[in-house]
Amino acid sequence: MIEVAHLTRRFGQHVAVDDVSFHLDQGEVVGFLGPNGAGKTTTMRMLTGFLPATSAQKLEVAGFDVLRKSLDVRRRIGYLPEAVPLYDEMRVREMLLFQGRLHGMSRGDLRSAVPDVLDRVGVRDRERQLVGTLSRGLRQRVGLAVALLPKPEVLILDEPTSGLDPIQRREVRALIAELASEHTVLLSTHILAEIESIAPRVIVLSEGRVVADGTQDQLVQNLAGTGHVRFEAVAGNPAEAVKLLSSLPGVTRADECGRVGIHHAFEIHGEGDLREDVGALAATQGWAVRELSWHRPTLEELFARLVLGGEEAEARAPESPPVAANTEASSDVPLLDLAPSADASKASPAPQENKVIYSLNPFDRGQSRALNEPIDPNANDAGGSQTGGEQ
Amino acid sequence: MRGAVTIFRREFAGLFLSPLAWILLLVSLFVNGFFFVQYLGIYRGDVTGALRASLGGSWPFWFFLVLLPPLLAMRLVSEEARNGTLEFLLTGPVGDASVVVGKFLAALAFLAILWLSVLVYALRVQTVGTPPDWGPALGGYLGAVLASGLFVAIGLLVSSLTNTPLLAAFLAFMACLGWLILPIVGANAFQSIAALLADYAGGVEVAHAWVLGALNKMDVLHHFQSSFLLGVFDTSEVVFFLTWTALFLFLTVRSLEARRWRA
Repeated sequence: MIEVAHLTRRFGQHVAVDDVSFHLDQGEVVGFLGPNGAGKTTTMRMLTGFLPATSAQKLEVAGFDVLRKSLDVRRRIGYLPEAVPLYDEMRVREMLLFQGRLHGMSRGDLRSAVPDVLDRVGVRDRERQLVGTLSRGLRQRVGLAVALLPKPEVLILDEPTSGLDPIQRREVRALIAELASEHTVLLSTHILAEIESIAPRVIVLSEGRVVADGTQDQLVQNLAGTGHVRFEAVAGNPAEAVKLLSSLPGVTRADECGRVGIHHAFEIHGEGDLREDVGALAATQGWAVRELSWHRPTLEELFARLVLGGEEAEARAPESPPVAANTEASSDVPLLDLAPSADASKASPAPQENKVIYSLNPFDRGQSRALNEPIDPNANDAGGSQTGGEQ
Repeated sequence: MRGAVTIFRREFAGLFLSPLAWILLLVSLFVNGFFFVQYLGIYRGDVTGALRASLGGSWPFWFFLVLLPPLLAMRLVSEEARNGTLEFLLTGPVGDASVVVGKFLAALAFLAILWLSVLVYALRVQTVGTPPDWGPALGGYLGAVLASGLFVAIGLLVSSLTNTPLLAAFLAFMACLGWLILPIVGANAFQSIAALLADYAGGVEVAHAWVLGALNKMDVLHHFQSSFLLGVFDTSEVVFFLTWTALFLFLTVRSLEARRWRA
């Protein structure tokens, strides 16, 4: 639906959008994430044809070249700029009729479409109100109604929730989530909670470049290498405990980080979720465990890391060779290519040998099992001595 | 063209939603009535003469002709740019030319209504019993509308260059005024220069003729008063106004396009 390849836009000396490439499939909801001035709005404006690109190898929306077939593109997009431009002196209904006429909708179409779309955004009762007298949240909804009226194939929403209070924000979010089924949606925001709840896929922009592109799971997963297990227990000799913890398969490093009363705290870094292994070890050693938790980077941390650039990333995650190996040494912003298939394995080159460990999990009934395989509840019943399953 | 019609409808309706339009109509009705009565006195009851003075034969008329179009045109583009609605229009399924033409026609239609205020008095005089010569009156009206069109086009161009409506109005007023008096001022200025140079250089006469010819091609006053005001419908004069208007509209379209690059 949207194809962008090597898109660049300069304002004089300033490069606002720098060699950006991405594409959206039909029906996808993608969130543009980035701090202010990252180039989100500029990119969107170029997609709508409001701004021409300085250079672009490919810039297509709904199968039409934005520059050459500008009108065809404009007929197929619903664009809601951040400022929500509406004519203040018009009534809500008039504004919608104007938009409908611009799109060449017939009178009959409009008669049914206008109430429909007003219902949809929940401002049907404001039909006769002057746009200039609407509150910010209502204005936003009317703006959305205007964008939705011609039933566009692609919706481009620039910060649709900026300036709203939390409740209005939630409502607009729910509305957008609802739209996702019918339209391809590209929305921008600098509020992470929004992206997390609406858009499955995220494109992170920073200083005009795409620094990450992928589903949220992929984003987090690829950085989960920098996650760690936090472990607090009464371990007699912390140095011994660190040695034991380090010897666990999959653990790259274990640190003792202080002592709280009789408890020692440890941070265990390694591949994936190591809680089970650590727990099993604690059980065999007879350590009294107080805390065993897995700390994964949230999208928020990830965002800060991506956007704040190299020094921050290095300072925070020096212990993550897989990710560091994947960053471009030359650029000061780490470019994380989070394309699903091939790179995922590249990002985690550590061989995944079957980790077999003695487990004290009561449901395992003392059996050994490969940790990489999912737990099959029936397997135990079939081979087990317990009779509970049969009865 | 459907886009232009839609935009025309919105702009035209939008004009009447703002107080400015009603104030302008009221003031023009009042002012035109005042001057018409004055002219009637000056021309000793010659209704046609007074009408001719009201529609192009006097300086007050020309003053309003250069004042009103910039006032109307100032908000057409610059206010939209300021409110951000220009982004809405320019990303809508209409071409830049449709936007410009629609806005231009809306302002022109309003001015056409405004100049009717002069004819109101002609009609009133007719009902009293002294029918005016309708040729010059209607000719003057048509000329006023065409000249307004030219000045609206200039105003639109200026409006598309700045985001401040008031600045646009002022600059457009200066531009329209300049356009109006340039032929007179320019001819006089060149005459004095030519007189000075005539002693030293040859070919001044040729240059003088050329400059006068060029100025004549821009001379709104002359083109207006030599045809419309006499009640003569001369297509070449109509073309004179339409050509200049089209040029400025074209420049406005280009300026809107340039705006995208600047923005």
